[in-house]
Amino acid sequence: MSNIDIVLRLIAFCVSLLFMDLIRHLSQFLVLAEELHFGNAAARLGLAQPPLSQRIKRLEDELGVKLFERSSRRVTLTAAGRLLVPEAQDLVARAERLRHLVAGSDGEDGTAVRVGVPPDLGGTMLAALIAAYRARLPEVRLSPAEMGTAAQVAALVEGELDVGLVRHPVAAAGLGFGAILTQHPGVLLAESDELAAWATVHLADLAGRALVLSPREAEPGLYDETLACCRRSGFVPADVIAAGTAEFALGLVLSGTAVSFGPPAAPPGTVWRPLAGAPLAWRLSTAWRGKPAPHVEEFAAVALRVLREDAGLVDEGSVPALRVAPRPATGFLA
Amino acid sequence: MNAIEQVFRSAGVTGRIHVTDIDSGSEVAIRADEPVVLASVFKLPLLLELYRQAERGVVDLSDPVRVPADGRAPGGTGLSAMSDEAAMSLRDIAYLMMAVSDNTAADVLLGRVGRDAVNTLLAELGLPGTQVVHDCRELFAGMLADAGVADTAALTQACADPTVVARLGALVPGRTNRGTPREMTRLLGMVWRDEAARPESCAAVRRLMGLQVWPHRLASGFPFDDVAVSGKTGTLPTIRSEIGVVEYPDGGRYAAAVFTRSLGTAQNQPRADAAIGSAARIAIDHLRAHT
Repeated sequence: MSNIDIVLRLIAFCVSLLFMDLIRHLSQFLVLAEELHFGNAAARLGLAQPPLSQRIKRLEDELGVKLFERSSRRVTLTAAGRLLVPEAQDLVARAERLRHLVAGSDGEDGTAVRVGVPPDLGGTMLAALIAAYRARLPEVRLSPAEMGTAAQVAALVEGELDVGLVRHPVAAAGLGFGAILTQHPGVLLAESDELAAWATVHLADLAGRALVLSPREAEPGLYDETLACCRRSGFVPADVIAAGTAEFALGLVLSGTAVSFGPPAAPPGTVWRPLAGAPLAWRLSTAWRGKPAPHVEEFAAVALRVLREDAGLVDEGSVPALRVAPRPATGFLA
Repeated sequence: MNAIEQVFRSAGVTGRIHVTDIDSGSEVAIRADEPVVLASVFKLPLLLELYRQAERGVVDLSDPVRVPADGRAPGGTGLSAMSDEAAMSLRDIAYLMMAVSDNTAADVLLGRVGRDAVNTLLAELGLPGTQVVHDCRELFAGMLADAGVADTAALTQACADPTVVARLGALVPGRTNRGTPREMTRLLGMVWRDEAARPESCAAVRRLMGLQVWPHRLASGFPFDDVAVSGKTGTLPTIRSEIGVVEYPDGGRYAAAVFTRSLGTAQNQPRADAAIGSAARIAIDHLRAHT
């Protein structure tokens, strides 16, 4: 090894050290930009407040601009700070990807992706999802947790979940979503229900029956949208019964107590019928916080493929609107 | 009357009802004094005023009236649905208004007899809670403005949306043609007892009410060849009503006024329509059992 080699290696080492240091500073900058509170940001980073202040100061000195306005009561981003946010996110994400890539190639990384799965996804679908992900990234372990949309959103925001499968509409700031896939549920009836004689059932045919649905606390968007759609179509359920588990819902359907909505599948003692005009559109997508990490992006791609190919979900721009066909006897001022 | 409440509940509607025995005055009442939206039910007092003006020679019922093709009130029946200029007598226009709830026919007649004259008649008959404040065209214009749409076709679609329906002033009794179930049965009783006008006028009004074509509301509760049902329906988004008289073969005569509002916004709700007939049947059966 020549002297020149040694010098070059040393320079490379210094550059890499500087680079890593810069990335660390930028990550801390991003946390403070989100929290806009030194105490909270420091707590999130596991630091004391003074070192965080010093590092932000160092970053500002290095860049030659002020990134935050600090007053006694609040911290705000300067114009320069706002400009830096997307750039910093990009750099940090790239650095993270780099690290994952190298770690992955070593084959000894214990990375786990924590994924939220809706309770009604079904065993077969979950197995297909895990198998497909394993085939794509054998070195990464999937750690699935059964959670409704509301719980997933909370866990994603808190950073307790890396990626989720959520029902839309979802209201949550700061979450990113994969492509939205649509499923048109049909109705599950007791075999003895008189509507079982029909090949297709209209939502209005269900009038007077009780409906069993996921609890509103678990699936607020789906719950509200489904009931609003039923109401527009002339089905005001005599009762809406919340079911946290598929078995409970099935029991109510089997006994003729209620009907339920879902994908084409009829356990013994029940019949499944499509709804005329496919009025219900249940929409599902992957979700994550901030910029998706590479493993999350991979999961989103795998989930999209599996849900399309194995569960028959379709891409659909928007929910089809109900078209009212006016009739003289039921029209205005009849 | 829990059985009536049960009928309303299982049809997905809330209801107000008043049913009386026309001859004895015995009654069944549920929220019968609350103000209700008349919708097309206002066509009955309008018809009565037309016949009263004919009695005084103010109008000639056989007078031919030209109804131009343009400027008609929207609607799915009668002149409202027809394309060309028409000429027909006032009483034939009245027939269309009552038989198929023709909105253009109603506006032509209201234009002829005058809104104030109808309200004066209602006051004279002792029905202070019943008022006609606008014609069909004005009622539609208000709904278009409230819904924020340009035409009736768009209004039909928009009214599937519960948030649009919630904005419609036409569904608020204080802002549209209104009455109460009790005042409506009082009006029917006066028509059937020949007290609302001269006997021949009352007979003409009864005949036109008997020619109403709709089978799905009040009449659905009495599917019997020997029972006569005469009525006038009222329909607006979520509102389904009918007032009418049911005459049994033994001579029993009952005036019924049933006004419902549905929780769902679907236009086709046969169970809600039929609940009107079922509720009236229960009430009349009760009156017949207790006389």
